[in-house]
Amino acid sequence: MSCCVNTGLTGVLTLLLAMSTSAEEVGARWGTEKREREFYRVVSVPLPKGEVIEAGAFELMPDNRLAVGTRRGDIFLMNGVDDEKPQPQFEKFAEGLDEIFGLAYRKDDKGDKGGLYVTHSAELTRVLDTNRDGKADRFLTISDAWGYRNYHEYAFGSKFDPQGNLYVALGLSNSYHSRALFRGWAMKITPDGKSIPIASGLRSPGGIGPNEHGAMFYIESQGPWNSSCSLKFLKTGGFMGHPESFNWYPFATDLKRPIEPESGTRVVTEKEKVRELVPYAVIFPYIRMGRSITGYVVDRTGGKFGPFENQIFLGDYTQSIIMRATTEQVNGVWQGACYPFREGLSTGILNVQFTPMGRLLCGGTNRGWPVRGIKPFALERLDWTGKMPFEIRSINITEDGFRITFTKPLDQTTGNNIKSYKIATFTHNYHSGYGGPEVDSNNPVVKFVELAADGRSATIVLSELKIGYVHEFDLGALRDRNEGELLHHNAYYTVNEVPKG
Amino acid sequence: MDPGTQMPNLLEHLPKAQRDDVADAVTHFLVKLSLKEFMPGGAKEEEHAVGKKLFHKIGCVSCHESGQGVGLVHVPMKYGMDSLTAFLFQPLHTRPSGRMPDMNLTRDEARSIAGYLIGMEGRGGLRLKPEAVKVAAGKKYFEQFNCVSCHKLPGIKAKPSLALAKLRVGKGCLSVQPKGMPHFYLSAAQRETIGKALKGIGKPLRDQARIQQTMVAFNCIACHTRDGAGGVSDVMFKHFGTDEEGLGNPARIPPTLDGVGVKLKPEWLRKVLFDAETVRPYMHTRMPQFGEANLQYLPMLLEKVDRLQKVEFPEPKRDDRRKYREGGHLLVGDKGLNCVACHNFNGNPSPGLKGLDLLTSFERLQPSWFAHFMRNPQKFRPGIVMPNYWPGGEAVRKDVLGGNPNEQLLALWHYFSLGRSARDPSGIRAEGTDLKVTNRTRVYRGRSRVAGYRGIAVGFPGGINYAFNAQNGTLSALWLGEFVSVYWGGQGAGNFNPRARPIELAQDVSFYRLSKNDASWPIQPVMDKENPVNPDPLYPRNRGYQFMGYQLDGEGVPTFMYRTGEVAVEDTANGVVANRVNRLERRLRFDASKSETVYFRALTGQVRSLSATQFATDAVKMQVPEDTALLRGEGDTRELLLKLKLPKGKSEIRIRYELLR
Repeated sequence: MSCCVNTGLTGVLTLLLAMSTSAEEVGARWGTEKREREFYRVVSVPLPKGEVIEAGAFELMPDNRLAVGTRRGDIFLMNGVDDEKPQPQFEKFAEGLDEIFGLAYRKDDKGDKGGLYVTHSAELTRVLDTNRDGKADRFLTISDAWGYRNYHEYAFGSKFDPQGNLYVALGLSNSYHSRALFRGWAMKITPDGKSIPIASGLRSPGGIGPNEHGAMFYIESQGPWNSSCSLKFLKTGGFMGHPESFNWYPFATDLKRPIEPESGTRVVTEKEKVRELVPYAVIFPYIRMGRSITGYVVDRTGGKFGPFENQIFLGDYTQSIIMRATTEQVNGVWQGACYPFREGLSTGILNVQFTPMGRLLCGGTNRGWPVRGIKPFALERLDWTGKMPFEIRSINITEDGFRITFTKPLDQTTGNNIKSYKIATFTHNYHSGYGGPEVDSNNPVVKFVELAADGRSATIVLSELKIGYVHEFDLGALRDRNEGELLHHNAYYTVNEVPKG
Repeated sequence: MDPGTQMPNLLEHLPKAQRDDVADAVTHFLVKLSLKEFMPGGAKEEEHAVGKKLFHKIGCVSCHESGQGVGLVHVPMKYGMDSLTAFLFQPLHTRPSGRMPDMNLTRDEARSIAGYLIGMEGRGGLRLKPEAVKVAAGKKYFEQFNCVSCHKLPGIKAKPSLALAKLRVGKGCLSVQPKGMPHFYLSAAQRETIGKALKGIGKPLRDQARIQQTMVAFNCIACHTRDGAGGVSDVMFKHFGTDEEGLGNPARIPPTLDGVGVKLKPEWLRKVLFDAETVRPYMHTRMPQFGEANLQYLPMLLEKVDRLQKVEFPEPKRDDRRKYREGGHLLVGDKGLNCVACHNFNGNPSPGLKGLDLLTSFERLQPSWFAHFMRNPQKFRPGIVMPNYWPGGEAVRKDVLGGNPNEQLLALWHYFSLGRSARDPSGIRAEGTDLKVTNRTRVYRGRSRVAGYRGIAVGFPGGINYAFNAQNGTLSALWLGEFVSVYWGGQGAGNFNPRARPIELAQDVSFYRLSKNDASWPIQPVMDKENPVNPDPLYPRNRGYQFMGYQLDGEGVPTFMYRTGEVAVEDTANGVVANRVNRLERRLRFDASKSETVYFRALTGQVRSLSATQFATDAVKMQVPEDTALLRGEGDTRELLLKLKLPKGKSEIRIRYELLR
């Protein structure tokens, strides 16, 4: 006898659906996973038996194989990741490196700089297979110009920029201090191997790479001087917000030590005094949009991955989710928006990479910190099913409001109704305490909306644009022309500047 | 040809000769469509054997047991190895309806099962070359007989068919002798049953009935029970195996589907049904994948129909969290209810039975089901070995959280909700991983007490191992025996520890230009709790040292490359075990831009001089080149320096370390 009573009655009793007893550590879900799978499928990529593959970095090799660098220091080359039912072959290319968080391939057939560049905790290493037996045999130290005295001092490496530079983001000691050289700094490694410290003030980076316009960014984690995670522009000579790393300015000969920021202020006011302070470009409201954001990549698939070409896709470790972001430069300052995308991955995501066929490979581990996904490590592939989701595509600022574009045309009634556009604003304290709440909440009035003739974009005018505030969008009332609801109805735009009229 | 097939005879009404012509032409047409040529031939012996085992292990027999269910006798005549492998690997490609599910086979597994089904001889031997005339005729027949109505083919449209509700027994294909119609060879009883079913065909099924229909149509009931139907029969039981016999039947037999709509969280239910998600690696049968398109409605129906009295676990208040967290931690561990005696935890194996990982609970289960199940596991899974820890509503452990069952359950739920950050319970231990050296020298980089943060361990096949501190360019430890143990738990990278007691050497920079023989050696900066910041952050770069990397030779032996000032050093060591002497032969090759003198600090501590070229401590004996040794200092702070007068260009020295323990 079962204790569960099956009844034929419908809709009478309260349904016992997803009761989100939200876990304190990882936060509540968006609750969109069931609908998301119609548009983006999560395909598990089987791993070889007996191997622990905690992916920390990916790179596409010239032979179209995908290189996977792991926390355990191995590099695997993977074939067949794009097969409909993937059963990739993994070949171990190298082993014994120290926690890999960056892989970048440099093609240089004529010169002597080609090969796979590996950023791991100890250094940036150029790894080569000189006898061409499929296994790496030459490990050349390109840069070890930073101190390494604590296990938490992770190093994240970018791909090469068009000038051939590679950027390394160096986390603080124990995530709070700067006890070894250049902890809390970003370095530029030039094509001829010079290591140049370019910016201080990093706390605990999770990924580094260009935004969709080619400017070098990194992702910062919530903590002291960072009330939320954020994407930040890595400005040469810039200060990224956390002053603990100021002690190394004497070793960065071209740069001048900024004045100390004052705790308990706001970034928007403090940057007027501390001129080097670079305002955080895209703030991801804590818990609602990730808790420890990691590797990211720009969609250059030419539409193979759906309607978000040239946008940034970011993984989150704690929540096992993928998010999107867009950025734009206003009055010379970077800012932009973030959007939910897909939840329900199986492990903590440490990095993402597009495959040759335009699928998003996501990988990571759940070792060491709280993670929603229950697998100790996994590789998963996000496939666009070809069905068009109804989504906020992007948000751009105007001189008195925003222009919002959608992946499907809006219907006239909801699209033209200013009540469909709910905007709230908030900001964070800028302080030395760990994290911080959203403060100074407000609800600007939407005064006017203009729906484009094709219904694919709406321009709204607000009573006020608040500089230094996150503008939170709730567009849940909008409908497409088949009365469909938005797959995700929130987005968050960080206003650092307002375009001059 | 294929007993039990649902394919009707479409040519029954034609004269025999014409029947053969039509069949022949359609065959030519279909073969022409094939992308790959048919390859005759049977399986290899091993494929056959492995396939046979798999076929009886993972659940194929539940639908295909010989004599019952869907027959497979036609398979060797129909398929070649390649085509059957491809079909079994992705059956939904060929048959999208999902009645033959995807069994999550790897390509190799698919080939093995194909080998078992086709046999080692392989009977299908005919290779057909399509003839253009017959292909054209075949295409015509394909359209004429409306084959596309059941077998989709791009470019060909199905003719409109009569709605099911309009079918009548005794007419068309439901007549005793269908004329010019597909002939299903239905018995009178079958026609009668179909007739009854047709009466209600226009009305949508009630939810409950629709679920039951699904359970039968996809044969879920071959392995699962629901509503008192289905389950594994006594005859089939032997095919349901497990790696954890001690866990009893629940480790062999897939769980009941009674109440599954209130048991699993909606997201997890979909992952099980559509993404092949599984949490019972010990269970041999696999959950088949029937295709999301075919069963999209099912989770919603289950969630709608299944009911369970609601139990809520409120999120504990901030001040109470610690109490519940610690309560849960205690209960799960071996000093509490000892759940870990039978359950893995957080990816770490139980010391006893390796039952499903408890940390999956929060992600998979609905809290109400968890609460009811925990209070009476037997009621949900009769025969389960899991005891009831709250018999008659009384807690077994009265000393935890006041012995209140609700409080204890809340504590467990809260503890599981912490996911990875849940502290491992007592009785579960994350252990280091031993790296083994086989027939090739192994190199592993990581921080270590014996080699600093930029440490590199090198293990030779003979059992000699050494560590190199790449931060300072120093051979810093030697040991004999197993290689290293690496800890890959927690947040850190894998720090390594020698698997045997190491002989530890100094870790300061090894090469330096002393101004005079008695000038002090540049010691690496010391940091401690009081002074945690590196006071000399450029050391030893500001003493001329720069690490350049390493090259592995064919045996995996590394040559470390570094610079001291303008001198390039290549540093190769080889472990040698011969004549009961364990030694490391080290060769240092130099390339100097000008002739100069550099000092090499070879050994420190209580160093004794045995001869002009031999020196020793209690642990290691060293052989050094002639006319280089300089032993200085007193007592246990002695230093053996080698004063090397390097010529311009290339030169080399050799050093031998003999391990005395």
